[in-house]
Amino acid sequence: MLQASRIHFCIQKRPVVDQISLTLQAGEILAVLGPNGAGKSTLFKILSGEISCKHGAVDYNGLPVGNLNSKKLAEVRAVMPQHSAVNFPFSAQEVVELGLFSTQSKNPAKLVEEVMEATNTLHLKNSNFQHLSGGEKQRVQLARVLVQIWEQKPFPRYLLLDEPTSSLDIAQQHGVLSILRQLTHRNIGVLIILHELNLAAQYADRIALLKNGMITSCGTVQEVLQEKTLHEVFDYPIQILQHPHHGGLIVSTSQPSFQKQLIKQA
Amino acid sequence: MWTIHLYSKTRTQNLIITGLLAILGVLALVSLSLGAYQIPFAQLLGVILNGLGIQGVAAESQQVNVLLQIRLPRIVLATLIGGGLGVAGASLQGMFRNPLVEPGLIGVSSGSALFAVIYLVLIAGSTGIWKTMSAFGLPLFAFVGGLIHVAAVYRLSRSQGKTETSTLILAGVAINALAGALIGLTLFYADDAALRSFTFWSLGDLGGASWTKVPTAFLLILIPSLFLFRDCRALNALALGEHEAFHMGVNVKQIKIKLLITTALIVGVGVSLAGMIGFIGLIVPHLIRIGFGADHRLVLPGAFLLGAILMNVADLIARLIVIPAEMPIGVVTALIGAPFFIWLIFNLNKPKR
Repeated sequence: MLQASRIHFCIQKRPVVDQISLTLQAGEILAVLGPNGAGKSTLFKILSGEISCKHGAVDYNGLPVGNLNSKKLAEVRAVMPQHSAVNFPFSAQEVVELGLFSTQSKNPAKLVEEVMEATNTLHLKNSNFQHLSGGEKQRVQLARVLVQIWEQKPFPRYLLLDEPTSSLDIAQQHGVLSILRQLTHRNIGVLIILHELNLAAQYADRIALLKNGMITSCGTVQEVLQEKTLHEVFDYPIQILQHPHHGGLIVSTSQPSFQKQLIKQA
Repeated sequence: MWTIHLYSKTRTQNLIITGLLAILGVLALVSLSLGAYQIPFAQLLGVILNGLGIQGVAAESQQVNVLLQIRLPRIVLATLIGGGLGVAGASLQGMFRNPLVEPGLIGVSSGSALFAVIYLVLIAGSTGIWKTMSAFGLPLFAFVGGLIHVAAVYRLSRSQGKTETSTLILAGVAINALAGALIGLTLFYADDAALRSFTFWSLGDLGGASWTKVPTAFLLILIPSLFLFRDCRALNALALGEHEAFHMGVNVKQIKIKLLITTALIVGVGVSLAGMIGFIGLIVPHLIRIGFGADHRLVLPGAFLLGAILMNVADLIARLIVIPAEMPIGVVTALIGAPFFIWLIFNLNKPKR
């Protein structure tokens, strides 16, 4: 279990993360949602061990993050930040192979091929990474991160992603989320920062809503996606609809003025 | 198919390294034979075969002396110093994540030079403890000077985990200016002899090469360079960014300190042995990357060999164009390197696509 308890982090005396506690179980997808400036990225950096936090504790499988060196930490969790620039002419495959650094894979070539196949990047393997499109770069980076935790291990592991779908088209977005769904069957817990509420509604097991550095609501998709809560958090009128065929939730942001009648959730 | 691909990749790398080694070997032979005192190839071969215990064409004792006491140590030194500058340049570029970094541009060389001059002018003449360790005093001072400067530039040019190219170059300019002023100040107290030797030395000079300098170069340039080779995978990871490298399991802080100390040692010792020789550390990693890709597993050893090759070519030119006099080698490397640098600036600013 990845557990954060009462973490508190200030930048220039303003609390950016305010007494946040949350847990991530292996085998689940936890989506972190919230408006810009809610503290999502800072929370993300504290959880990943990138920023050390004086107040509160972050534990990976019961071990404090501060006690794990970078090598040990890389074995229990992989991280995909929002932007990563590459300043040298590496090929896409070389970038993906960087993920092998902490793995003791017996067959690295097969591992890299499998992951590149799954992320739909195999055809790019010999291309210069710097010349790829935004979406292609994002998928190659995802492949690089997945290589780190792709092979089965006897202990639970975690994957943290900061808006991994921001440059992807609809098909690729769903492609990425489906891969993450499969990962949960490998004893991996996934924490993902998202802006697209519908993706969260469709794929997440639980959702944490963040505003002003605090968790305003955390629970199952049904519990958290309430019109009133979302309206308060995002300062925008939001409707929750039910899909006519499969009954899943749809988050709509169309303005009430354009719709004479709102279909309320049953 | 993939295993074959990976296998062929290491095989390609081995092929490139072997090719560079062969070029270096041929170049060394050419360099042994040419110069103010021409030695025909037959005699050269004779001396080499004699060294191996085989009877070849007899050579005059003067030829043997020129070969073994003057040219050979010079070529060995050029190889070690050039190779060291190549690896140091490649490592610094990898660590700063910036292809414009070069030991000379960011002030490592001038820092080494400043401390070397301080040593030569103020300390070398004095007696006492420094007298007893004169063989290592100069390299040690040059190393400390280089280390202080590279650390200072690194601090100055970083904000929020990134080094901006413009800030980096400016920090280098500022540090170079300061070092230049302090060198001038120190030289004010120097005597005529020290002054003359400094002028030559500031332009880079392999003329003073002798076997006595080779052990220092071997111990403090070649061995640290081999140590750098072991960090090639960490350097690859650092190319993505320091945070990313940390996430992938690299001990970023430790590796950075190691890289700073090792490169300062290599450059500092190089400066103390042959003066300031610019641009090798800039050009060489680029040529390797343009030709064979950015993987540091190849870039580091490749940069060592190509640095050695370039240094020997420059030395050969320096020895041949103004026979019987000799051009300072730093002039030659700058004449090749500066236009390359200009070309690089043009190309870096071009849109990627």
